[in-house]
Amino acid sequence: MENDFKREARKQYWLFFRFWFIGIGILAVTATVMAMAQNTTRFVRERQNMQAPSERVYDYANVLTDAEEDKLRELIAEKEALIGCDLVLVTMEQPVEGVEAKETYGYRFADWESNMQDIADDFYDNHFFGYDAPYGDGALLLDNWYEGQEGTHLSTCGKVFDKFGDREIDRALTCVDDYIDSDPYSAYSASILYITEVMSGEKTGLGSVFLLLILIVPIAAAGTFTGTHLRSKEGKITTTATTYIEGGRPVMNVQRDDFVRKHVSQRKIQTSSSSSGGGGGRGGAHVSSGGHSHGGGSHRR
Amino acid sequence: MIFKCKNCGGNSVYSPEKKRMYCPFCESENSEERQYEHARMQICPNCGGEVSYTEHTSALQCPYCENYIIFDERIEGAYAPGRIILFKLSKENVKELIRDKFRKCTFAPTDFLSEARLNTITGEYIPFWIYNYDARCRFQGEGVKRRTWVTGNTEYTETSYYHVVRDMNIDFQGIPADASVKMPDEIMDLLEPYNYGEMIPFRPEYMSGFLGEKYNMAAEIIENRAHAKMESSAATILQQSIKGYSSLKPAYRNIAAPSPDTEFALLPVWVYRYIYKEKEYPFYVNGQTGKIIGSTPVSKAKVWAYGATLWACLTIALVLIAVIIM
Ligand SMILES: [Zn+2]
Ligand SMILES: [Zn+2]
Repeated sequence: MENDFKREARKQYWLFFRFWFIGIGILAVTATVMAMAQNTTRFVRERQNMQAPSERVYDYANVLTDAEEDKLRELIAEKEALIGCDLVLVTMEQPVEGVEAKETYGYRFADWESNMQDIADDFYDNHFFGYDAPYGDGALLLDNWYEGQEGTHLSTCGKVFDKFGDREIDRALTCVDDYIDSDPYSAYSASILYITEVMSGEKTGLGSVFLLLILIVPIAAAGTFTGTHLRSKEGKITTTATTYIEGGRPVMNVQRDDFVRKHVSQRKIQTSSSSSGGGGGRGGAHVSSGGHSHGGGSHRR
Repeated sequence: MIFKCKNCGGNSVYSPEKKRMYCPFCESENSEERQYEHARMQICPNCGGEVSYTEHTSALQCPYCENYIIFDERIEGAYAPGRIILFKLSKENVKELIRDKFRKCTFAPTDFLSEARLNTITGEYIPFWIYNYDARCRFQGEGVKRRTWVTGNTEYTETSYYHVVRDMNIDFQGIPADASVKMPDEIMDLLEPYNYGEMIPFRPEYMSGFLGEKYNMAAEIIENRAHAKMESSAATILQQSIKGYSSLKPAYRNIAAPSPDTEFALLPVWVYRYIYKEKEYPFYVNGQTGKIIGSTPVSKAKVWAYGATLWACLTIALVLIAVIIM
């Protein structure tokens, strides 16, 4: 008898959790297969584009020492392999604003921002940058040192374009702003590190949310389950206020809602400006003069 | 009295399925005749066996000959029920209802739904006082409506004041309160509502086949229970009739009703007294609507084990999903 009950209980247990166990089994197999598949793809991510030059640091404005340039090249080489994106730095010292500059240098526009964007995009396109293919995955940081027209432009392309929204672009440029006056090398490397962080950041970003989910959801679900089953309820109330009222409604003798008076008060509201762009990727999307999709943004100093 | 079958002498009972008197022995219908009227209560008039009853019992089943005995003096005179709602669900119906409801109840003991246990279900006519109130609700107060809007960078708030008056009559019909000490009040409240449309004048043969009690206490003694139900309903209705205000400040609020009309009625309840580890777990089923009230005994160890397994399953599943999507 006792054994019968135990066998019955075990049977119930398996029946109750069978879909869970099957589901976990399927997930485990999927995870294993995917892990194996990733092992083969993730680490054999060789550079595909052979048309682009190997140079990444173009210090036309001569703001970096040779040693700093080498350190940057080293840093870029390491990070490029990690995130599979070309990272290019260009410094220049050249007017980009005004009608005179437009005529002298043959720009399409007269304003600072449009020209910075053109120069950055064209530089990227003309050198066939892109980790996977020409005009492919990568980003170019253009820094102008011409007096009175200083500022930085970030041009994004391929998967950097997909990933970088206005917020990310802004932060990458802020990295430059933070150090540029005291130490250009730190400014550029901070920006490159930030771009690397965002591009490899799928893991860390999702990870913390998921960790929280993994900790909280099962506890909450199991807690609710245990709680509701331990404290079993006798039954629900199935009468309402009108159950025993003849005709289901009262007889209204008087029902008045008389307006008496009103007053109006006013209050100044502090408006917080600056609409947040929010990172959804594809910030500052446009097509370069060469006909390739780029994203980007500028910070003028 | 006992209702005997004219054809075979068996005990005729009221059959909820056939909606008439029925002899389970020879399957005659409406063949009943009254016997042993006003018999002594201590002794079964049919077999002479000693029966045990309480001061309120009005109908019982002889444990020896299984005839249903009705005590005349407890359904007559002051104790005569005005009306009755008959059992609409038979014992088989109720067994099926209980099985359906608790079949998926993983934590109930295994024999909870066994045929032998379910056969101990008894149909009992529970004495109820039902009360009719002619209530009047009056309210006066100040209602406030607020409206805000923004023009430019200025926020405007308009506050309007209203004089709110309500005066209504509410005709409450048939608020029930069980007049049985052995029935827990809160459980009887949960069995509500009964459909009074099917309430008919009382006749003694309706009780044959079931257990019963006369009212245990007078209508005035438990009137406070019905009054409380009336008041809370009236308060809800009053509140529902005053809508659209951001806030309400009552100046006068009154819910009053003169002494109610009362009626003594018998309402049908199926009772399943399930005993687990020497503790009784009673189940009550509305004999008219089939609403089931009661909770199964729960094996705590079992619940914890299931809870822990659920936790483990969810955690593993989420970890695996995390691995897959990242
Ligand atoms: Zn018969
Ligand atoms: Zn007997």
